[in-house]
Amino acid sequence: MLRIEFNKLRFLVVDDNAHMRRIVRTLLHGFGTREVYEAEDGGAGLEAFTHHMPDIIITDWVMPIFDGLELTQMIRQPGANSNPYVPIIMLTGHSEKRRVIAARDAGVTEFMAKPISAKALYERVLNIVVNPRPFIRTKTYFGPDRRRTTNANYVGPERRNGGKADVVKPISLLDKAKIAD
Amino acid sequence: MSNPGKPSIVTYGDYEVITPPHTLRSAVTELPPGAEADDAVARAELALSELSENFPAWMNAECERLEDARAAIHRSGFLPQTRDGLFHAAHDIKGEATTFGFPAVTDIARSLCRLIEHTLEMKDIPRELVDQHVDAIRAIVRESARGDVTDLALALTRRLRDVTEEFLATSNRHRPDYLRDVIQTG
Repeated sequence: MLRIEFNKLRFLVVDDNAHMRRIVRTLLHGFGTREVYEAEDGGAGLEAFTHHMPDIIITDWVMPIFDGLELTQMIRQPGANSNPYVPIIMLTGHSEKRRVIAARDAGVTEFMAKPISAKALYERVLNIVVNPRPFIRTKTYFGPDRRRTTNANYVGPERRNGGKADVVKPISLLDKAKIAD
Repeated sequence: MSNPGKPSIVTYGDYEVITPPHTLRSAVTELPPGAEADDAVARAELALSELSENFPAWMNAECERLEDARAAIHRSGFLPQTRDGLFHAAHDIKGEATTFGFPAVTDIARSLCRLIEHTLEMKDIPRELVDQHVDAIRAIVRESARGDVTDLALALTRRLRDVTEEFLATSNRHRPDYLRDVIQTG
C-alpha cells in the first residue's frame, strides 16, 4: 500500500476564479499539503512557476492574459525554464473530446473536467507521483508520452519513425509495490 | 522539493525519449502490510463540506457576474470584450454550479456557452435567447428551495437546449464539416 506525503509537495493553482482557487486550495490542504501558491491568470502563473518552483501545477483553461493551454506551451519549452517537465493538471469546464486532445497535444500531464471532486484530484496526483511518464521530443511535440496503453490492433499511421514505437513504460513505484506484494 | 537534475535521453529515428529524474519519489511512502490506510480523500471531502456554507453566496455572486455581463451586452452590443465576459461567466457557472450544490443550472450554462462559442458571427447571437438562458439560471438558483425545482429546471433546460441546438444547426448549415466535427460530436 502506498501513501502520498502531500506535506512534501508544493502546488501552484492558476485560475482566474477566486472561488475555484479557494476550493482547490481547500482540497489540497485537506490532503495534507502545506505549500499552495495561487495565481489568477496565465501571466501571473508563469511568474509564480518561475519564482516558487512548484512540484505540480493545477491550471484552469479559460483565463485572461493568456490561457491555461498557452501557459502549458510556455512551460513546455526545453531550455526556457528550469523545469519544463513539471507535471501539469488541466482543471477545466471544457470536456469535449477535441479539447482533451488539444490539452494533451500542448503537453498537459493530466486532464480533469469540472465539477471537481476530492477523489478525482487525488487520483490525478497519485498517477503523477507514482507513475510518472517519460517525455517525448519530436519536431512538433515536447511533453509527456501521449501513449498510455499499447493497442496491438492499432492500424493508423505511425507518427514516430526509427523503431521502438511501442509504449515506453518505465517500471513505476506502483508496479514495484505490486511485485513486492 | 523540486530539483530537476539531469534527465536521461535516448534518441531514436526522429524522436527522443527523455526520462526526467523522479523528483517526487520521496513523496511516496510504501506502508507495511496491515498498516492503517491513509484516507486523504475523506479528509479533503470533510474540508470541502466545511467550506460549503459559503457556496450559496458564491453561487449568487456568479449569477450577478453573469447578469452584469448580460447588461454590458445590452449597453454596448456584442463586442469581443462583452462576448468574452458573458462566455467566461457562463463557463465558470458550468464548472462550479454542481460543486456549489446547484447542479440543475450546469446544463443551461453549458447551452449558453455553446450558443456563444459556435455562432459564427457574434452579431448574430440572438440576444433574446441569451436573456432566456441568463433568466433561467437566475430563476433556478433563486427558487432552489422549492420542491419542484428539479422538474422545472429539467423542462427549462430541455427547451433552451433544443432551441439553441436548432439555431446552431441552422446558422452553421454552410459549414457542414464544423457542424459535424465540432458542434454535433464535440
